[in-house]
Amino acid sequence: MTPDSSSRAAESSEDEKTAGRHEVFLYVLRRFGVYLFTLWAAITVAFFIFRLVPGDPMNILLGNLARAEGRQRDAAAEEAIIARYRHIFGMDEPLPLQYINYLRKAVLSGLDLGPSFVEYPAQTKDLVFRRMPWTIGIFTTSVLLAWIVGTGLGALIGWLQRSRLSKLAVVISTLLQITPVYLVALGLIIYVGYTWRILPAGGPYARHLQPEWSWEFISSLLTHAILPMLSNIIVIGAGFTLGMRALMISVLGEDYLTFARAKGLSPFTVLKDYAFRNALIPQVTALAIIVGATLNGTFIIEVLFQLPGLGTLFVQAMGLRDFNTMQAVVLFSIFAVLTLTLIVDLALPLLDPRIRRTA
Amino acid sequence: MPALLEIRGLSAGLQGRRSVTQVVSNVDLDVHAGEILGIVGESGCGKSTLATAIMRLLVPPQVLQSGSMTLRPGDGKAYDLLDLPENELRQLRWRHLSYIPQGSMNSLNPVLRVGRQMTDTLIQHGLSQDEAQERSIAALELVNLEPRLTDSYPHELSGGMRQRVIIASAVSMRPALIVADELTTALDVVTQRQILQELAGIRDELGATILIITHDMGVVAQIADRVAVMYAGKIAELGRVNGLFEAPLHPYSQGLIGSIPRGGGQRVQGLPGEAPSPWNYPNGCRFHPRCPHVFAPCSEQAPALLSPGNGRWTACHLYDPEVASNE
Repeated sequence: MTPDSSSRAAESSEDEKTAGRHEVFLYVLRRFGVYLFTLWAAITVAFFIFRLVPGDPMNILLGNLARAEGRQRDAAAEEAIIARYRHIFGMDEPLPLQYINYLRKAVLSGLDLGPSFVEYPAQTKDLVFRRMPWTIGIFTTSVLLAWIVGTGLGALIGWLQRSRLSKLAVVISTLLQITPVYLVALGLIIYVGYTWRILPAGGPYARHLQPEWSWEFISSLLTHAILPMLSNIIVIGAGFTLGMRALMISVLGEDYLTFARAKGLSPFTVLKDYAFRNALIPQVTALAIIVGATLNGTFIIEVLFQLPGLGTLFVQAMGLRDFNTMQAVVLFSIFAVLTLTLIVDLALPLLDPRIRRTA
Repeated sequence: MPALLEIRGLSAGLQGRRSVTQVVSNVDLDVHAGEILGIVGESGCGKSTLATAIMRLLVPPQVLQSGSMTLRPGDGKAYDLLDLPENELRQLRWRHLSYIPQGSMNSLNPVLRVGRQMTDTLIQHGLSQDEAQERSIAALELVNLEPRLTDSYPHELSGGMRQRVIIASAVSMRPALIVADELTTALDVVTQRQILQELAGIRDELGATILIITHDMGVVAQIADRVAVMYAGKIAELGRVNGLFEAPLHPYSQGLIGSIPRGGGQRVQGLPGEAPSPWNYPNGCRFHPRCPHVFAPCSEQAPALLSPGNGRWTACHLYDPEVASNE
């Protein structure tokens, strides 16, 4: 190679690098656009779908109160009260106008999602923020742990696909994966929580404690979190295990694996750099997909374990047709799921060189 | 001088639910140091299974049934390939015995840079990082690739470049024997020619021995010194390329060579019928249902691989004096 041609080669590789960076920027931009659009679409669907549920929140709540009073009902006074609260909740206007007001307030007045019903006159926003740490704590931790455990186990039983232990693990994971999460949670509550009394199985922390930065409180918090998280980890982890196993087995059939073996690489290198790294790419995508599907499981777990998270809030709100709160919970869930998916999608180019250029 | 690779009575097959279906039957073959030996045959004749068995890369349901293979890579030792424990086999791979796989397009790991895929192997075999780097670059230059390709990912390379990277990797430890399985199948004719020339150059430069498996008689004619014609899991004929192309002995080789287009207005002669699949290999000579010269013993007795002289071998009753004289 002449010096001239080598410098030209270096130049063109510089060009390629800038072009590559440009494409990565476009990828991120496009991905972010999709993110915003999906967020908007989800909010819109959530807004209208709750208003299709039969039952008027004012009638339910105020009717209940009036009945509880047991006094002679003054129909006109009742009507007046209902109309007043309708106005406070912005429900006396036509639906499209309500929708626009809702969006305007949510975006322009700093996430003003209206007053809540369950804890009137508390702001829905504050309610959600107060409950959020529980849900995020349980959900994020358990899904990530499930993913790590499932990916590791799945890689191992895929690698050892012909061993007896592997086949047994497949049967067990399949059974666990098809078990509904509430059955697993109930089983853990009944056996571990009450029959054997190994771990606490209800409430966020021991009843006699107050939230504070003390070892006693934190350890109580953690021991109370074990069973709810375990329910999630068992079911989701089993799914991740099966998924990773299938990915490993398909990667093991690839030509580059045969070639890696032919090169005389150690089995550990073949497993780590050739099989695992390739199977990991779709497994990361699976994390993004499954994140959304498992959030409702976490809501059920919160109710079963009496944790003050968004799930319990949602169930309370549902009973009262508390639109504002229901919407806020759904909004938050969608936001959480979409954001996690976005993070995963933006992380993919780091794992897969093919996306860096072509996406 | 003993052969570099001595294959004796090698049989391999597919493990079924109850029995094993034999794909390669009782193959005897000597590969001599410094030669390029071609193995040709139709799809499904067992040539790739044979290559995989030599590399000991058979995976279930493929199974090795019997036979022995001895490799004498010139370090004064003889390795019994089929008896070698896994860790010793690993050390022998690439150092003495390397492989250019079928489907080279997908034989590079998509998530590792090309350089890393070459050096990790060299480091595994005891070279330092710097030595490995140097060797990889030298090997890439041997196949006319620029050293800066080490920073590329496989998807950034063309098919021909990927194939060259594989060849470079395979020769980077200067192995005694290279097994190349259908190495040019996915490439266009021009690239195919260049790569074959490079491979022949490598043989001359490094003194490597190459076993080349192909269905393409043209590839064999261009590059090989000797050729083994395989039919239905057995070797039908073996000899020097010139002799075999000019005057093939086995009726199957005659058919194969007759089917090469030669130009000059000559009609191409085809072979009637189809190659049998391993599930229903015919009794006796496996070629007899398609053979134009079939006679009584062909359907009863399998012919042995015999030499009618001057270094040629064929498995056909026509050339077996005992069988022929009984008729």
